[in-house]
Amino acid sequence: MKTDEYIDDLINREKQTEPNPFLSTVIMSSIETPVAKKMTAWQSIAVAASISTVIFLGMQLGRFSAGDKSTALNINDSEIENFIYYNDETHE
Amino acid sequence: MTETEIIHSILSGNTSAFKLLVDKYHKMVFRTAMGFVHNKEDAEDLTQDVFIRIFQSLGNFREQAALSTWIYRITVNLSLNYVNANKIERFFELTEEKILNIFNRRDDSRNPEQRMIDEERDQAIRNAIDKLSDKQRTAFILSKYEELSQKEIAAVMQTTEGAVEQHLQRAKASLQKKISSLVGE
Repeated sequence: MKTDEYIDDLINREKQTEPNPFLSTVIMSSIETPVAKKMTAWQSIAVAASISTVIFLGMQLGRFSAGDKSTALNINDSEIENFIYYNDETHE
Repeated sequence: MTETEIIHSILSGNTSAFKLLVDKYHKMVFRTAMGFVHNKEDAEDLTQDVFIRIFQSLGNFREQAALSTWIYRITVNLSLNYVNANKIERFFELTEEKILNIFNRRDDSRNPEQRMIDEERDQAIRNAIDKLSDKQRTAFILSKYEELSQKEIAAVMQTTEGAVEQHLQRAKASLQKKISSLVGE
């Protein structure tokens, strides 16, 4: 076989490849499906800014409603020492 | 319904009339795309892209050339953009396909060694076609895959018949040079 024949043989095999029988249907559906419009730069900025604002306001509200609720727990352990009275065998 | 009537119908909002164009031209577009990408799935994706582009720019069609010439022009432009943009991905895809072809053809009477040699040769031919310059490759594919005359190719490429003849001669010489050593001529 000569080079030309090898080339023609490959081309003929590729030419005989049949596309998917539903290709025209797929093409039509892609054309008939409305493509979502891309957002403009200003729209993207507005969306990002509103998300940031909502997050910031949420944090502020959280801080405001929580207030300063720190409490000190005082434990007077001198009362615990009174248990010695019950454990002391001399008082029985 | 003539092509002009179909085009006017689509432009006036009758999207379903576009199916007439798709049915008539999708195999032509697919075959041309196959010449550029050598892969069924990629050629189908390209065919879809070509028809979306045709639909979007149908209003720009001036009817100075035949509709088929205009469609060929879009197909060639999108195919060249596609292959130039996806060189690395396509290398891996074609290698994977080559390996699968060697091992998956159980109905093939050739022995694995012969199949591998044939696949190597096919791949070398594909690579040689892919390495032609854009103009040589376009002229070669339209001539070999679509069997267009030099006049028709010249219309698609917006050049002269003489230039097309030169592109074809150079493409054939280049392919001969690259492949002859491999096939032992």
